[in-house]
Amino acid sequence: MQNRNLTVGIFLVAGVALFTLSLFLIGSQHKVFARHFEVYTEFANLDGLTKGGKVKVAGFDGGEIVDIAVPGSPTAKFRLKLRIEERLHPVVRADSMVTIATEGVVGDKFLFIHTGSAQAAETSSGATLPSKEPLNLADLMEKSAGLLNDAGGTMKTAGQKLNETLDTATTTIRNANDLIVGLKQGKGTAGMLLHDETTATRIRQSIENVHQATASLNQTARRADDLVSDLQSRQLGQKAEETLSNARSATQNIKATSQRIRQTVDDATGPDDQGVDTATNIRQSVSNLNQATENMSEDMEALKHNFFFRGFFKHRGYYSLSHLPPDEYRRDKLFSDSRNHRDWFETDDLFTSDRSGLETLSRSGGARIDDAIDRLSDSLGPAPLIVEGYSTAQNSPEQLADSRNRAMLVRDYIRRRFHLDAQDVVIQSLGDRPPAGVGKDRWNGVCIVLLHSNSR
Amino acid sequence: MSDEKQAAIALDHVSKSFGTKQVLRDVSLEIERGEAVCILGRSGTGKSVALKLMISLLKPDSGYIWVGDEDIAQLNAEGLSRVRRRMGFLFQSAALFDSLTLHDNLALPLHRLTDKSRPEIEETIERVLGEVGLAADKGKMPVELSGGMKKRAGLARALVLAPEILLIDEPSSGLDAITAEEIDDLLLRQKSQQKTTMVIVTHDVRGARRVADRFAVLDQGSLIALGKPADLEHHESEIVRKLVAEH
Amino acid sequence: MRKLFEFVGKVARFGLQVIVKTFRPPIEFRQIWSQIAEVGSRSLPLVAASGLALGVVMTLHTRSTLVTFGAGAMIPAVQSIAFFVEIGPLVAALLVAGRVGAGIGAVIANMRATEQIDAIEALSIDSFKFLVVPRVAACVLVLPLLTTFMDFSGLLGGYLSEYALSHISLRLYVTRAFTNLDWANFVPPTLKTVVFGFIIGTVSSFFGYTTNEGAEGVGRAATNSVVLSSLLVILADIILVRCIFLAFPESAI
Ligand SMILES: Nc1ncnc2c1ncn2[C@@H]1O[C@H](COP(=O)(O)OP(=O)(O)OP(=O)(O)O)[C@@H](O)[C@H]1O
Ligand SMILES: [Mg+2]
Repeated sequence: MQNRNLTVGIFLVAGVALFTLSLFLIGSQHKVFARHFEVYTEFANLDGLTKGGKVKVAGFDGGEIVDIAVPGSPTAKFRLKLRIEERLHPVVRADSMVTIATEGVVGDKFLFIHTGSAQAAETSSGATLPSKEPLNLADLMEKSAGLLNDAGGTMKTAGQKLNETLDTATTTIRNANDLIVGLKQGKGTAGMLLHDETTATRIRQSIENVHQATASLNQTARRADDLVSDLQSRQLGQKAEETLSNARSATQNIKATSQRIRQTVDDATGPDDQGVDTATNIRQSVSNLNQATENMSEDMEALKHNFFFRGFFKHRGYYSLSHLPPDEYRRDKLFSDSRNHRDWFETDDLFTSDRSGLETLSRSGGARIDDAIDRLSDSLGPAPLIVEGYSTAQNSPEQLADSRNRAMLVRDYIRRRFHLDAQDVVIQSLGDRPPAGVGKDRWNGVCIVLLHSNSR
Repeated sequence: MSDEKQAAIALDHVSKSFGTKQVLRDVSLEIERGEAVCILGRSGTGKSVALKLMISLLKPDSGYIWVGDEDIAQLNAEGLSRVRRRMGFLFQSAALFDSLTLHDNLALPLHRLTDKSRPEIEETIERVLGEVGLAADKGKMPVELSGGMKKRAGLARALVLAPEILLIDEPSSGLDAITAEEIDDLLLRQKSQQKTTMVIVTHDVRGARRVADRFAVLDQGSLIALGKPADLEHHESEIVRKLVAEH
Repeated sequence: MRKLFEFVGKVARFGLQVIVKTFRPPIEFRQIWSQIAEVGSRSLPLVAASGLALGVVMTLHTRSTLVTFGAGAMIPAVQSIAFFVEIGPLVAALLVAGRVGAGIGAVIANMRATEQIDAIEALSIDSFKFLVVPRVAACVLVLPLLTTFMDFSGLLGGYLSEYALSHISLRLYVTRAFTNLDWANFVPPTLKTVVFGFIIGTVSSFFGYTTNEGAEGVGRAATNSVVLSSLLVILADIILVRCIFLAFPESAI
């Protein structure tokens, strides 16, 4: 009897205790909402959201959808009433964007309220927050697949053009060999120089093609960037995060590849007094290049299968001055900043023309540059030195060719002289007009620019 | 009921059947206060049914059953409960509550139907169990008792409320001669000391002759003889003579 | 057909009588208490063990699906919703119908067969109030508690198997389990078992109390009790679930 009372007692007490416990466990989840405020938002497409759905404020679980008003006409939107914990009020501003997000990749749908900007006023209760319609997955797929196709195509074109260039270069060298043979055989030097000049132009032309190709790659990258930032603003989940980091590493490869392309082109076209060695260099470079572009298209192929590519091209390492149109360069605050350090050199101080009229860096010019760089050496940092080329030739194609040639000559000299990497010294050919605000309207020669430390 | 003032129990033209089988036919029988009547009869003639009718566990199909001056077939639950409180019943199968110990079987009616205090209840149980010779077994469960012990335990439960009327179905079946005699002594004591009215169904003619004032003989549902044992020895019916004969 | 309606009528009258006699004093506290021991405490091991096993199995089944869809965080919520809303109440009731229903049917039928009920009547005790009412009352009182035990042991089972697979902390599991839960998911489903308890107690007692066929009748009463009370519990569940949805529209998922 005593024993039975005990067991029944324990049973009853434990049962009632558990019952009460669950009441409290359930209750505590709701008490949170005791102090709350209410706001509205509108969506044309609810994407499966329901009454009672979760609302997260900047990722913090702190509200629910209390009511959904159905639109009265096809053009109107669903009006959602949200109840949000009062303590999250300071984060929710009048410009807080509301999006529909998914828990996991295919999990529960919930509303995501992004933190507003500090300048905007705190939302008043009953206000309507701006919203961004949920994106359609299929659309996104199509969009990104197209983009990647573009990028892939561009890569291929770039590769092709590079190959052409290198073909040209190889031919040139063969020609050069012929010339040397011809010289040895006592043929006229004029022919040789003529030969040389046309070859040089062809090479230049080809390089221009490559630049164009990479510029359009850049364009693609910019479009990808836009898409990615849109994606980012929608707070994709964990899975997307992984995909994105894959994309990022692919981007890194692209960056490396593009650097190698530049390096190769620079190497291939850099003046070298040992003709045979150049030929070997070029052949070496060609195989490097093929390797690089191959890798790159593989990356592209991989990317096509990942439609989340946040960070894709984000840190575009190959963003290069040479792809910045001179006009933009001149207008850019960064380059026209009067605090930038500038060393101006007249054409005559640096260059001498050889018999064919082709300019080369003179010995005294080299010494001047040495001096200038020496003075700068203390403030050299991660930002590249910019070599601006100027020319006051009669017509603009000539100006462009001359200014570019001058800049390249100086750049190549600095690189070799101070053992700098390709990305440490960059060029910009500006015709005859320097950027605004540097105190000069017209220039003939070269200017070495070190960006002011604040703007780097 | 002025003419039946003395009767403790009266059956008045009672008939009872189960389905198509008629068990009792037009039985009339009066039992005086303080009188002991033994019902004899062959197995299956309706003795137990008659006994159950007297306490209204069964209702008659026709006729009346009076206990004191109350027609128990017409009583409501409360009235019936009041009448039954004055009666003790021993079932042929003893019908002990098999989820309770022997002690609790006796304690249950005492607890529920009397105002006795706990020590008084204990004392009563002790005494009654002693009288039926089960004082040592009060902690046992009914399954732990033999058939005869169950019978005695059932009798103890019938006696424990000191009823005015005792209805006993085969008190000595399954008992040895000595124990049977002790039970008969107990019943005799009840009759002489408590003036208890008794209706006893039995096959033990020897015991019945010691206890009973009158015999009632049932055969195939009809009451075929009623009278003092000695008178019935010379009854015209052979069945009656055989049933009443001591050996 | 006529027999069926007659039967329904008899059971309904029996049930009505239970309700009427429950509230007529004196209330049989001692009997109710001992029946709570029988129905409640003694069913607890069965209910707890079944809940635990069912919890483990449930998680094993739902887990892979949820993980495939990237909703691994939903595992505790699915478990708790499933148990609190339906599995707990229904399975607890069916287990009790099996264990206690058979017991009540058999015990009362046996008492009928061995004249114990007559003996109680002969002692001028109301056998209905003494035997039937306490059993029904115990079923009614105890089933919500057993359901709660079932819910929690199911959750515990779910936690254990989830812990074995992902080492989730108890705290996180409990938080996730109760976040999506509403009072409407817990209180009405748990309290609806009061009806189940009434059905089990009444039906089982009915078969026991009205049998009159000796030892064979005992077995039949036990079987009938389990069959009919289980069936009625499920039928009642359908109706009650609808009622709860009507009363608490937000609990309809
Ligand atoms: N509840 C019942 N339902 C149907 N028939 C019954 C019932 N009770 C008794 N009977 C029938 O009534 C008849 C008389 O039964 P009863 O128990 O009175 O016999 P009895 O005289 O007491 O016999 P015994 O000396 O063997 O105890 C029997 O034939 C029995 O079949
Ligand atoms: Mg009999």
